[in-house]
Amino acid sequence: MKVRYFAVAILAALFAVAASTASGGTSRSHATKLTVWLMVDAQSGWPEAVATANRLFKAQHPDVDVDVQYQTWGAHLAKFDASLAGSNAPDVIELGNSEMSKYMAAGAFKSLKRSVFPNNKTWLQGLTTSCMYSGKLYGVPYYAGARAVIYRKDQYAGAKIKSTPKSLDQFVAAGKKLMKKYGKGGDYSALYFPGKNWYASMAFVYDYGGQIAVQKNGKWKGVLNSKQAIAALTKLKATVLSLSRANKTGDEANPQQALVFAKGKVASFIGNGWEWPYALDEKLGNPALAPVMGAYPMPSHIAGKFMPTFLGGSDLGIPVTSKNTNLAVDWIKAYTGTPAQTQIAKAGNIANTTKLLAYNASNPKLAPFARAAKFSWFVPTSPNWANVENADVLQNMLVKIFTGRATVKAAANSASSQITRILNSGA
Amino acid sequence: MVSVAESEYPLASRRRRRFSRQRLGRATAPYLLLVPAAAVIGLVLAYPLYLLGKLSFEKYGLFELIRHQGRWVGLDNYSKIFHDSQFWTVLGRTLLFTAAAVSLTMVLGTAIALLLLQVGRFIRVALTTALILVWATPVVVAVDIWRWMVDYEFGVLNWTLTELHLGNFIRHDWFVSPWSGFGVITALVVWGAIPFVTITVYAGLAQVPQELLEAAAIDGARPWSVFREVTMPLLKPIFVILISLSIIWDFQVFQQIWIMLDQRPTSDYYTMAIYAFSQSFRLSEYGLGSAIAVVMVLFMFLATTVYLRQMLRAGEVE
Repeated sequence: MKVRYFAVAILAALFAVAASTASGGTSRSHATKLTVWLMVDAQSGWPEAVATANRLFKAQHPDVDVDVQYQTWGAHLAKFDASLAGSNAPDVIELGNSEMSKYMAAGAFKSLKRSVFPNNKTWLQGLTTSCMYSGKLYGVPYYAGARAVIYRKDQYAGAKIKSTPKSLDQFVAAGKKLMKKYGKGGDYSALYFPGKNWYASMAFVYDYGGQIAVQKNGKWKGVLNSKQAIAALTKLKATVLSLSRANKTGDEANPQQALVFAKGKVASFIGNGWEWPYALDEKLGNPALAPVMGAYPMPSHIAGKFMPTFLGGSDLGIPVTSKNTNLAVDWIKAYTGTPAQTQIAKAGNIANTTKLLAYNASNPKLAPFARAAKFSWFVPTSPNWANVENADVLQNMLVKIFTGRATVKAAANSASSQITRILNSGA
Repeated sequence: MVSVAESEYPLASRRRRRFSRQRLGRATAPYLLLVPAAAVIGLVLAYPLYLLGKLSFEKYGLFELIRHQGRWVGLDNYSKIFHDSQFWTVLGRTLLFTAAAVSLTMVLGTAIALLLLQVGRFIRVALTTALILVWATPVVVAVDIWRWMVDYEFGVLNWTLTELHLGNFIRHDWFVSPWSGFGVITALVVWGAIPFVTITVYAGLAQVPQELLEAAAIDGARPWSVFREVTMPLLKPIFVILISLSIIWDFQVFQQIWIMLDQRPTSDYYTMAIYAFSQSFRLSEYGLGSAIAVVMVLFMFLATTVYLRQMLRAGEVE
């Protein structure tokens, strides 16, 4: 019985596929669909910019439909691989700047002509570098982000913290004051810091003079077990354990840390520019917090300096499988042009062009992030780096450290040897 | 052959032809009827398995994926995984998990089936309905429900345990220790598997001749001995089938862990299926991932052999 139903279902599915491919084949000649994969951040943070790009594109190509599909950071590369293996990869895809080199090295993207894109002479240098491979351009800078401490001014005042901390020790001292004043209930965090938040964690490592990996004579070596890195991770552990009651095995996106902040039991978190307005979202966040929110760059362990922030960002590429290269180029032009980029900056990001930097500096909600971006660190520039991210090496290490499942040293040793192995594995 | 016979002996051959056609029809009919099912199995099982096997002998990374062309490397992938300590850890963990989940499922499922025999009609209907509802809940939905129950911030489990004064479970993270984390996952998997076992065993129990049980009781056997000496041997074929099926299901556990841990389980939570998936889709090492999957298939094939032999033997008895 079951087999029969199964067989019927299979047959039905086969016919459906056959029918759909047949109709796809005939309709291709006059109407085309352009498939774009963006990350969910655009959907929650700057939908207007996407709408602007679609409008500009539609004016140019009235008969082409743009299908923007939003992806999650956890699953998008697996989906991209699967779509490359089949032949239904998108026409335009957003990748994180640290994910680009793996795909450029494997030949996943079409090479692009820089001069056709708007503002190409003023692109952010850091992002442009992440789009280049052996001297050729394979991506277009989309936006950058820097992290800073987003905090509650009213709670800082309530705990008698006069000014924003100027050193890491002051930051911890201020946090302890907050915990004393508000932290009785056991569910309050002076600094909300989920265990897998590796971007913010590695900032400690770079601040103490450590690195994730170094290249010597063409060979990579994981160095999270260096003296500096161990000191940084030890300080990080003490800071997080005393100031955070966030989930030690969770990450900053599940649940979204800005929305946890909006619930009121968090004095601060280390977030991207766009997370400030997101915390004030009418449906998901709490708009009433608008007057009491602020941001400042995370202070360094050296008084008066800032901790380097991860120069995060995204690029847009055109997969080699795309049959609509010209349309894809036009859409990218529309989305990375000044009108859409202004909206992206307005949402709390750093636009892809230095032309709009003044826009960030003049906006009090964006200025702290722009200031933080001046000191930045970036992941090792190996085509295999994305595999370190995908294997969750750093997250595993951090969870072990914060939960006490391993000592800082043991966790760092094991992560370093894993990083060495992955970065040196034959591509 | 038939055509020769036809030309030489027209009369006899007609009779024979009718006869042989009938016989031919009778002989081929079962095979003809099997063709659609076999075609489906070939399409959805054999071909993918063939591809999987082929892939496991190839270097198939992102570079090869984009060009749809792997490079033959012989047994390289297998020697790599057999020399990787993580593979053995994951294999051991998966076997341990399977053993725990299967035994719990069988013991609890049988216990509930025995309970069903004892209780009144109303309770029996209520219990059966509850079991069917559990069985009918899609895995993804079930995992989401459980995830909320053990949630760090808002979980009802932490709240209940605290209210019952069993300790302070406010913001207790069940996944800090892989032991308690796997406890939750095992509970979820067992919970989902019990209905099938219970209903099957219950159906089997209904077939046990009442006279045998009564005779044993008259002879002075206590309930536990009756169960062990009479019921168990009678139900042995059913138990063997259920255990083999449970092993197959639990050995390849994936969704429960994957969804429960936000699609990014730390390496302490890797089971064979997750390990194979992460090698393939996370690290783009599709050849390596396939080799792990092939090893998994072989392990499950062992369990299936027992199951198939039992099935065939059961068929002979009938």
